[in-house]
Amino acid sequence: MKPTNINDPEYFHKVVDCQYACPAHTPVPEYIRLIAAERYTEAYMVNWESNVFPGVLGRTCDRPCEPACRRGRVEEKPVAICRLKRVAADNKGEVRHLMPQVPFPSNGKKIALIGGGPASLTVARDLAPLGYEIHLYDDQRKGGGMMRSQIPAFRLPESVLDEEVNYILDLGIHTHFNRYVQSMGEVLAQDYDAIFVGTGAPRGGDLPKLPGRQEGAANIHIGIEWLASVAFEHTSKIGKKVIVLGGGNTAMDCCRTSMRLGGESVTVVVRSPFSDMKASPWEIEDAQREGIVIRNCMPPKEFVVEGGRLKGILFEHVEAVYDENGRRSLVPTGEPDEFIEADDVLVAIGQENAFPWIERDLGIEFGKWEMPVVDPVTFQSTNPRVFFGGDAAFGPKNVITAVAHGHQAAISIDQYCHKKDLHERPAPAVNLFHQKMGIHEWMYDSYVVEDPRYKVPHADNTVALKDRRFEVELGFAPETGFMEAQRCLNCDVQTVFTESLCIECDACVDICPTSCITFTHNGEENDLRTRLNAPANLLSQDLYVSHQLPTHRVMIKDENVCLHCGLCAERCPTAAWDMKKYLYQVTKTCKVWDAAGSVLETV
Amino acid sequence: MTYLRPKFRHPELPRNARGYTRQYYEGALSTLCAGCGHDSISGAIIQACFEMAIEPHRLAKLSGIGCSSKTPTYFLGNSHGFNSVHGRMPSVATGANLANRDLIYLGVSGDGDTASIGMGQFVHALRRNLNITYIVMNNGCYGLTKGQDSATADEGSVNKAGIANPFQGIDLAGLAIELGATFVARSFSGDREQLIPMIKAAMAHEGFAFIDVLSPCVTFNNNPGSTKSYDFVRQHIEATAAVDYIPEKSEITTEYEEGTSKVIRLHDDSLVQLHKLALGWDPSDRGLAFARLHESRARGEILTGIIYLEPQTRDLHNMLNTVAQPLNTLREEDLCPGIAALEQINEENR
Amino acid sequence: MGIPVTPKNIFPSNIQGLPTWYEVRVSENGYLGRRAGIDMVVSVNPQSLAGDVKSVRPGGYFLYDSSRPLDKNLHRDDIHFIGIPMIRMCQQHFESPRTHQLLKNMIYVGALTALLNIDIEVVKELVALQFKKKEKLIPPNYQALDLGIQYIHDHYEYPLHIRLERRDKNGDSILMNGNTACALGAIYAGATVAAWYPITPSTSVVDAFDKYARRLRTDPATGKKKYAIVQSEDELAAIGVVIGASWNGARAFTATSGPGVSLMNEFLGLAYFAEIPAVLIDVQRGGPSTGMPTRTQQSDILLAAYASHGDTKHPLLFPSTPKDCFDMTADAFDLAERLQTPVLVMTDLDLGMNDHMSPPFHWDESRRYDRGKVLSAEDLDKAKEWGRYRDVDGDGIPYRTIPGTHPTKGSFFTRGSSKDEYARYTEDADAYRRNMDRLLKKWDTAREIVPAPELFQEHDRSKEGIIFFGTSAYSALEATEQLEAVGVQTDAMRLKAFPFNDTVRDFIERHERIYVIEQNRDAQMRSLLMIELGIDPKKLIPVLNYDGFPITAATIVQQILKYHPALQPTGGNGVPV
Repeated sequence: MKPTNINDPEYFHKVVDCQYACPAHTPVPEYIRLIAAERYTEAYMVNWESNVFPGVLGRTCDRPCEPACRRGRVEEKPVAICRLKRVAADNKGEVRHLMPQVPFPSNGKKIALIGGGPASLTVARDLAPLGYEIHLYDDQRKGGGMMRSQIPAFRLPESVLDEEVNYILDLGIHTHFNRYVQSMGEVLAQDYDAIFVGTGAPRGGDLPKLPGRQEGAANIHIGIEWLASVAFEHTSKIGKKVIVLGGGNTAMDCCRTSMRLGGESVTVVVRSPFSDMKASPWEIEDAQREGIVIRNCMPPKEFVVEGGRLKGILFEHVEAVYDENGRRSLVPTGEPDEFIEADDVLVAIGQENAFPWIERDLGIEFGKWEMPVVDPVTFQSTNPRVFFGGDAAFGPKNVITAVAHGHQAAISIDQYCHKKDLHERPAPAVNLFHQKMGIHEWMYDSYVVEDPRYKVPHADNTVALKDRRFEVELGFAPETGFMEAQRCLNCDVQTVFTESLCIECDACVDICPTSCITFTHNGEENDLRTRLNAPANLLSQDLYVSHQLPTHRVMIKDENVCLHCGLCAERCPTAAWDMKKYLYQVTKTCKVWDAAGSVLETV
Repeated sequence: MTYLRPKFRHPELPRNARGYTRQYYEGALSTLCAGCGHDSISGAIIQACFEMAIEPHRLAKLSGIGCSSKTPTYFLGNSHGFNSVHGRMPSVATGANLANRDLIYLGVSGDGDTASIGMGQFVHALRRNLNITYIVMNNGCYGLTKGQDSATADEGSVNKAGIANPFQGIDLAGLAIELGATFVARSFSGDREQLIPMIKAAMAHEGFAFIDVLSPCVTFNNNPGSTKSYDFVRQHIEATAAVDYIPEKSEITTEYEEGTSKVIRLHDDSLVQLHKLALGWDPSDRGLAFARLHESRARGEILTGIIYLEPQTRDLHNMLNTVAQPLNTLREEDLCPGIAALEQINEENR
Repeated sequence: MGIPVTPKNIFPSNIQGLPTWYEVRVSENGYLGRRAGIDMVVSVNPQSLAGDVKSVRPGGYFLYDSSRPLDKNLHRDDIHFIGIPMIRMCQQHFESPRTHQLLKNMIYVGALTALLNIDIEVVKELVALQFKKKEKLIPPNYQALDLGIQYIHDHYEYPLHIRLERRDKNGDSILMNGNTACALGAIYAGATVAAWYPITPSTSVVDAFDKYARRLRTDPATGKKKYAIVQSEDELAAIGVVIGASWNGARAFTATSGPGVSLMNEFLGLAYFAEIPAVLIDVQRGGPSTGMPTRTQQSDILLAAYASHGDTKHPLLFPSTPKDCFDMTADAFDLAERLQTPVLVMTDLDLGMNDHMSPPFHWDESRRYDRGKVLSAEDLDKAKEWGRYRDVDGDGIPYRTIPGTHPTKGSFFTRGSSKDEYARYTEDADAYRRNMDRLLKKWDTAREIVPAPELFQEHDRSKEGIIFFGTSAYSALEATEQLEAVGVQTDAMRLKAFPFNDTVRDFIERHERIYVIEQNRDAQMRSLLMIELGIDPKKLIPVLNYDGFPITAATIVQQILKYHPALQPTGGNGVPV
């Protein structure tokens, strides 16, 4: 293998699994350490810089970081990264003065943002401080988009959402709420230098062809529409017996909301096996905790309507059969069909994009599935003035992805407005900070605690189910938050190897608790992976390979389960190993918070 | 931060024949200087015991005093250990072995502990062919007392203070061969590929198995001019042979060209395969081994490998003709002759 | 003939050529201590003739080989000279010149039977026993005996006024040296490992162990040995082997003398601090340094009590008789394992190498070895929280484990450095002090379980007491009788062990003056009593003998009477029968 180029910023970035997995590349270990140090405000700001909605995401994020967390490979469960973010948000002090301060001198450019969800709001935040005049359009009465309409208040209190939406709107954004944009042509006709479309995936899936759909229509609701109607207080009741169709997070929100609006017997029915459910495991767990029954392998056959009134649904029993290519098909088992009674049915079987308001003659090309053609790097459409982001760009994902899109779209818009090449993306900002304080002393808490993951406390069902606005998760208390934060392995503190200093004494090999380090003769990666001191079977994890050493061997480190405990560097007599904190920050249009500066100050 | 080793280990660590991972053979965290050769030897001992699938409670580790003698704390934490007094480990090991011949005894000593204060005990344990693996972690200096030359420091070797040693160094391997040791080997802490199978073979050997391991002292004897520095040893090492230890009932998997390897059968039918033998070299010929050691020394080279091996020997228990059952398991009924025998003795003395 | 005797072999430290003496004390009262002054000497070594003549008390007898005339200058008027031309008689009656020297001895034995009125049949029985395996030697020896008797019959009036008469006072007593008794004690106590380095006067301990172990501990089926003896390279190694074996669960011991104990100091400290049982038999001899290696003393007391650097102390046992040697050696193994510490049996050259009259040995068949607090695999499975140095029972004695006991539990690292309750190395001040304090608590436990002193009176009779130990007991008890005869009443106590228990303290406290009788210059036991019990030095009067010979009653009486100036000794130093 060739020696690893550690000057490639992505090499060490990849080692910070959580940050690498985060679409917005939030410097997770950095803010977790700040939480452990009870510096909640700074922890919040590190988040805010990256993901714009720490309070929202600390409650609702899809957490792509957690499955990636190295801790999950070392022991059973990853660090509760998401809920630690909430600890920062819950316990922070005043933050407004740390944010960009209005007014901003105008740069003479004017931007329209269609849709008031996380993608648009991110664009607004990134561009407003540069002096852009920003107009935000949304058909709802407040900003937030799907965060407001689809996430129930018992998971995300309105006050938290309002606070974080307002941090942005208060940057001098011109809002046009309760206004549904009906024509892109009209918008393009105005003097906007650029237009950003962040309208999400507003159309909920339906089962229009299922027998009884029309007859029972009065009691059959589309999940996301129903959730929005609840959020905006048009709906406050549901029947006692409820069936929710679908296995995603929307289905979970629907069933849990039903429990709070009068549902007594709420059943979620999924056509596929449990293992294929799209909902996050913790969402499923929370639903079950509230007494919701989930059935699987039961596709609906018919809405049963008697006397014009919905009686329930007839389900078929199937099983999943996989062919050689692993493709799944659902095959009837032959068991008799099952009828489940229902007063109301919520259909939560997916979302679709819909752009009825964009005329097809504006130079905005649409492709497969009626989706706009969008550059995956620049988020520019085929009309150079028009940019897409969030679910509107590539289909339904999640809030954190929308935020990531927003950052990149903002850069593109800024470059577009200044007539720069959109494909010349700014490099990430990286810093390596020395961590050594003494022989066995580092600036970070290098000791690896063995505690298993702490559980976030929940309010009792008897209280929680009475009020749809009552936040059911209580969040970590600061003390638990500290202990959970201590579980973080500090993967951003990198093991950096300097060949010229190594005397090949093996001290690092012997001390390494997880047998990451091997000195051996070089070879091809496939071969090397079989010759290391411990199995190196996780191919997604890199091997760190040194230049050749005097004994004609190389140092190979399997990054996979490195605990970043620093013992290799502590035992290295020549400082050939060093521990350096690596701060990787995605460059934004402007610096809203200097994480590196806060790092220097805090350490 | 306090100096502690996390308990987490690689989740996919391989297991040996007894179902243990290497972790089960580890000890406490070393408090020796970072980069000490001794730690490397500890690592080799851990690996050898893991590969041999030794049950840790069937092994007793013993040491004297010195940096080297601290190491038993750092390996085999599930074995009983005995850190005795300076230079006296051989006698404690002799007693322990007499009490229970069924355990494996691993003695760890240093050049001061063996070649100076403990020379008497060392040669006598050797002379009795005590069944023990005796490892000297040889760094040519007194590390604990800040780097004075030891008796194995080579003549002319320059210490950290810049002073050349005026005295002859004692070659422990040569001495052991001369005194009739039945297993004499030398290795280098930085050559684990050689050291691990060597330790395994030594543990399988029934009798006194001596391994002299050059182990640089990074703090006091790793300077230019020292003949026990990492650089010097690496440049002057001359291996007699690559060592393979093949446990009983397993196949020899590595084939060598005719005449370039030698297989020695140990008392328990396990095998030691030596490859890359120098021309005319035979580790079962004491005289040749001795001569070869001298030649290398004269050339300023450090001969490593299993230098001499006499596989079928009588250990101390055989010489004393003790019962097969460990003496420490004999109970009153085996040991106390009873009142009738005593009356008889009384009568004889009236 | 049933007469109590005390024989003592008095020999110089030499290889060959210098004369040795064999003293036998014979007394109606059964006194077994050495008595100064000789009633009859048989002198067969020309080098010592002059001294031998001088050693005879007035009125006594000097028997010599008159083959050559006695130097006139040696003549004394106050003693009787009995000359027998022994060598000339041998030359006349026996062929081989080699046998002349040997049979000469039988001639004087024959002469003595006549002179002292010894039953010749008893003597002949002994000769027959001696040559049981070389029967052809019996007739010439009988002949020599007869020649001696005949010569006396022809030339002297006999029997003399000192003579032996059958008494049958010995009952079932045996005659044995202490070293053999110690060895037998070790065998009966189940010792399986003996390690030693030859040194006078302890050598015969392991020799005897070897002799009896061959007989009693060899597996008849296989011929294999249920014991191991290592003659080590030095005493350091000897005690090292013992500690290693004891650590590994065998009962092990060594035997040595003062110089050996000096060498073993380092290891004894290790065993004390690491809490490893060990049994050491110290056959004391004249010190310091090489001192008088073939003479007796009790001069290792302080050395043994506090052997090694740092705060250390060790239980000591003080046998007085061969039976004590047997019993106390066996007990020493129980104590060492119970207390997990070295125990030293403090015998001496006089007891160890000389035959002593002793009650016969006894072994209670129901006795079980006390292996102390050793955890089995089952115990370890049951134990909730085992720590090698935790004081669970409040007696200062922790629980130990033997290597190889349990696959996953009970292993620990034995070390001579400071550690915590779980045998983990630490330099923590509190942990160190806790450990040292626990060792002291264990010492208090030892105080209660070591043998209590022996009191020789049911109730105090006097304001004065005497304290003695070991081989001083013979003469000390004789001295009390002599003192009583002149009007000095004393209460007597024999120390059997260190540490001293409350009986010792009480005895001292109840008396106004205590004479401490011992065989060294520095009154070491007196110092030990002062140090350990805080006794006022003025109260403890040293009564000492340190000339290398066993202490005599006369020495004791003389020194005690200095404190009774009004009284004079009667000179009744025991009347020969």
